[in-house]
Amino acid sequence: MLEVRNLTKIYNDGTVALHNVNFSVDDGEFLIVIGLSGSGKSTLLRCINRLIDPTEGEIMWDGIDLTKLKGTELRNVRRKIGMVFQHFNLVKRSSVLTNVLTGRLGYTTAWRSLFGKFSHEDRDRALGALERLGILDQAHKRADELSGGQQQRVGVARALMQEPRMILADEPVASLDPVLAHSLLNRLEWLNQEEKITIICSLHYLDLVQRYATRVIGLMNGEVVYQGSREDIRAMTDREFKNIYGEEAERVGGIQGEIGSNGGAK
Amino acid sequence: MTKVQNTQTEQKPSLVHPVIAMLVSIVVPGFGHVLARAWQRGILIIASFFTILGLTIWRINQDVIKIGQKVSKLGDIIDKILRLQPILLVTCIVAFILYLLIIFDAYQVAARKTKGATRVFLVLLVTFFLLGWQIGKIDLPLFAREFGKSKYRISQIFWPWEEAVSRAETEVAASQNIQIPCTDNPPSPNPITEDPWIRTTPTCGNLSQQDGAPGTTLSIEVGNFSPNTETEILWSDPLANEFRARQEGEYLILTTDDQGGLQFNIVIPYRLVPSSAEGPQIWKIKARQLSATGEIGPSEILMLAMSKMIETIFLGMMATFFGIILALPVSFFAAKNLMSGTWITLLIYYIVRTLLNIVRSVEPLIWAVIAVAIVGLGPFAGIISLTLHSVAALGKLYSEAIESIDHGPIEAVQATGANWLQTVVYAVVPQIVPPFVSFTIYRWDINVRMSTIIGLVGGGGIGYLLIQWIRLLDFKAAGIAVWFIILTVATLDNVSAEIRQRFV
Repeated sequence: MLEVRNLTKIYNDGTVALHNVNFSVDDGEFLIVIGLSGSGKSTLLRCINRLIDPTEGEIMWDGIDLTKLKGTELRNVRRKIGMVFQHFNLVKRSSVLTNVLTGRLGYTTAWRSLFGKFSHEDRDRALGALERLGILDQAHKRADELSGGQQQRVGVARALMQEPRMILADEPVASLDPVLAHSLLNRLEWLNQEEKITIICSLHYLDLVQRYATRVIGLMNGEVVYQGSREDIRAMTDREFKNIYGEEAERVGGIQGEIGSNGGAK
Repeated sequence: MTKVQNTQTEQKPSLVHPVIAMLVSIVVPGFGHVLARAWQRGILIIASFFTILGLTIWRINQDVIKIGQKVSKLGDIIDKILRLQPILLVTCIVAFILYLLIIFDAYQVAARKTKGATRVFLVLLVTFFLLGWQIGKIDLPLFAREFGKSKYRISQIFWPWEEAVSRAETEVAASQNIQIPCTDNPPSPNPITEDPWIRTTPTCGNLSQQDGAPGTTLSIEVGNFSPNTETEILWSDPLANEFRARQEGEYLILTTDDQGGLQFNIVIPYRLVPSSAEGPQIWKIKARQLSATGEIGPSEILMLAMSKMIETIFLGMMATFFGIILALPVSFFAAKNLMSGTWITLLIYYIVRTLLNIVRSVEPLIWAVIAVAIVGLGPFAGIISLTLHSVAALGKLYSEAIESIDHGPIEAVQATGANWLQTVVYAVVPQIVPPFVSFTIYRWDINVRMSTIIGLVGGGGIGYLLIQWIRLLDFKAAGIAVWFIILTVATLDNVSAEIRQRFV
């Protein structure tokens, strides 16, 4: 159970990115955060794993206040929280396998990792993760030789290496085409349902939100302006969506029926 | 079209009547434009026109009036220009056309008939081009003429390899003593033996005189030398200075007959005799056959060029090595993204950047001159100068590589629970190593190339030999040095390109 209380983030230049944000997520939920660019979605996700230090407020996760953690304690919590990024954030010149193995750094001693000595177990695990995501044959290529969709799957594999209990996904499909977007969200949904990993994901498209979310919160100018359950979202019309989201909101397109069998482009 | 009209209607009217602008421009070309509110155009025209005027007068004064007999009358000056520097006359004519155009343009601009024609600037450029041609002393016919004459020298540079091998020479020689002047007791002629011999009759005589009176004619016989071989004849004065005998101005080289013998006459040459020399002196006449029949081996020039080339390569390598070691720490201080934290670090950043720029803007050759003044001639001076320049150049390139790293992977690795060291090793290093390697090899390439000429100012390496050989007009030796430089640089170029391709 993740509980965010009175979370506020003010950047050094005075920008108020989050203002008094309150919400909670039960374990095993698929929470989707919607909102315009600049509404504070990325800041919110980064506050949870403390890539950004919040100015005020608490983030309680299983009784621990994440905002108070430091050093090793913080790193030990971070390794239980996987993260997937809009621009994949892979080390482009490193191999796919090395990128995936970085997911194990939180579990590896510093001197071992200094020389790239990951255990056989970790290697097998990394190859297994790549296999599950269907890109095992790409393992020894450089990360930037892969297509966008494949790179994002490497990003997911890296997150999986952490054996996460929660995955933060910051607009994971914004750089992908609709088919790949569905394919990736399918995988996240599968992880959510089969492995009971809590997913907190920011998204842009109404139909994706309706299709995958079990809960939704809407942000506007750093404040929570909407909270809804699965049923609320299903009943939501484009008009209501645009009210929260702004006029530029749009649907990905009517390809929902096909994605199950397609499984994404190669 | 509407747009053009808009800008014209928005434009404020000229301060003065077009005719006045024109008249003003006759006195000060371009000032009419200023009065017509075409500030930039006006100032540019004033500056350019007076620059052209000044330069033209300077060149006429320098290259025409000051040369030869001084002239003051205009007609004479023009006549002299025509003979010496016709291009200056063309420049004057074009400059006058420019002057007229500026006056006309001033009227048009003031009358708002045109926003300003480009032809003024076109003629301006042509004038500068003509002046540049004259100042640069460009002479294409000279090039064409002299190129044909220098074919032999150039061919020596292109194919110098005869100089690269040498054979050990064997000398066969014999000499006969000659007394100057004659006494009662002249030296006896050499006997005829099995060995090569030379004998003269008589065995004494007088030197030729400075006023042209010929000396004694000697009749010379030579025998038992190698047959049909070129033979040199040399004189040896009483101090044992050898000099080659001449006949009618040419060095005397004779070819022996089938028996290895020669017979010829020679006049004893003129030679300044020191006043301290008293009494009869013993001279010698010598016949010599040199034959390159020994073992073939690399010539001294080749060995010298090779050893200096090795020195050159290592000079470049050491400079690169020191450059890397010093540039690595410096580059972190010169990376803005790392140094923009506080005003102190930012100050350090600006200081380091400025220093790097200053060091880099001074050519390695100039640094080498300074280094030679400190540590003297030799490769160490070259290493110092190239190291300085490398640090400045690599420091800048490295810091730019650091500045351009992508923050995304750092964030992603941090998010996995990695500590600071792991983040550096897995997210920062992989991003900066390839550009670092690439820049370093590029720099090595430059350093070796630079070290081939750093010797011109005494910084060691093959350049030192090259400039010596060029000054001695030994174009074959210089050619060998040039060949070595080309081969090394080309090889290195390919190797570095290959390595860079693999890393980046």
